[in-house]
Amino acid sequence: MMSPPEPEVVELVPASQFTLDELTAAYNQTRVDYIVPMPMNVERLYEYIRTYDVDLSRSAVALCSEEMLGLAMLGVRPGHTWITRLGMLPASRRRGAGQKLVEHLIARSAELEVPHVILEVIKNNTPAHCLFRKLGFRETRELLVLRRPPGPATEVVEPYTEEFLESDEAIELLEQRRSCPSWLDEAPSLRNAGRMEGFRVTLASGGSGWIIFQHNLFQLGKLVLQPETGDLHEVARALLHTLYNHHPRHDTQLENLPEDASYWPALQEFGFVVSFQRTEMRLDLGSAS
Amino acid sequence: MKIVLVIEDNPYDARLLMQILKNSYFVLHAEDAEQGLLLAAEQKPDLILLDMGLPDLDGQTVAALIRNTPGLEDTPLVAVTAWPPDTARDMTEAYGFTAYVSKPIDVQDFRARIAAFLGEGT
Repeated sequence: MMSPPEPEVVELVPASQFTLDELTAAYNQTRVDYIVPMPMNVERLYEYIRTYDVDLSRSAVALCSEEMLGLAMLGVRPGHTWITRLGMLPASRRRGAGQKLVEHLIARSAELEVPHVILEVIKNNTPAHCLFRKLGFRETRELLVLRRPPGPATEVVEPYTEEFLESDEAIELLEQRRSCPSWLDEAPSLRNAGRMEGFRVTLASGGSGWIIFQHNLFQLGKLVLQPETGDLHEVARALLHTLYNHHPRHDTQLENLPEDASYWPALQEFGFVVSFQRTEMRLDLGSAS
Repeated sequence: MKIVLVIEDNPYDARLLMQILKNSYFVLHAEDAEQGLLLAAEQKPDLILLDMGLPDLDGQTVAALIRNTPGLEDTPLVAVTAWPPDTARDMTEAYGFTAYVSKPIDVQDFRARIAAFLGEGT
């Protein structure tokens, strides 16, 4: 009679023991069959690690007999941590290694004595969502990932005046934000991202607000809007109008807009469309089972 | 012979697309956006097949750049994507694609659609 196969011994190794080339290759292999594959090259992974405070010594790669099964990364900031880039090779899924990786990152977070861990899961990624629920994570809100193709602002808006904001002023304003940002657009992420800029607008009718963003050769990103006073919808429209008056040839990406953001209708009027959705989840470490 | 540019980083998908097309067209392959944009600008292909998830730039940004390149404004540009149909439709309309083809590729349907995009419909 044949004996049952030996259970797999999964070893978790700190991601800092691998080169960025190896981590990039591993990450891309885990995403080949994803609905939103989001592959990376070494430069993009490096930028991701730097911008989002990923701690590779607390992130992990799962190995079995020296073969890579998957990986997961941990962002670390005062007050909370963030699980990101969890991915398993297609042939390695549903064998428990993904759960081990997440448990490992939760344990690293507990060692840091942070009160909670957050993460985002792409909507309809049911296996990952179920895994996070099983480990005690609970949904906090729905987030939209939006795109707007290049094009000038053709919408008619109320008359307004604008003032350009340099990077320092922009960063200062971000600290006064009223909305609750996700990890990707928390102030440290935006500070780490490099030069930010913005505009403050004042409507002739008296409302005001500001918009902060980053622009590279092709794209506007890291967009944060804050209509502050007056007719907030009209202020949001004026902010977008001034942005696309200045940058009509740039593609725009806006990540993790809360589904209930008050200026989502204004974004729709200016041609933003939903690329995909994420669910933000949180685990309070005091109540982790 | 018409030129088709395939911008696709996944080696399996790239091989499949080139296998399907190579007997009917001159096929160029780029495995990232940078190489794809250079080839598109230099070779002015008759059709561009663009994977939406590339390692250096995403498909939307690449599409916007292609549409801003002189001589490529009207080149048939087809997204190759595993996105859900609603997302694929909204995104390809917004970014000026001619159409999209869903992954996994249906080989027979794909051949017919490529011929139609190139004005070779039966």
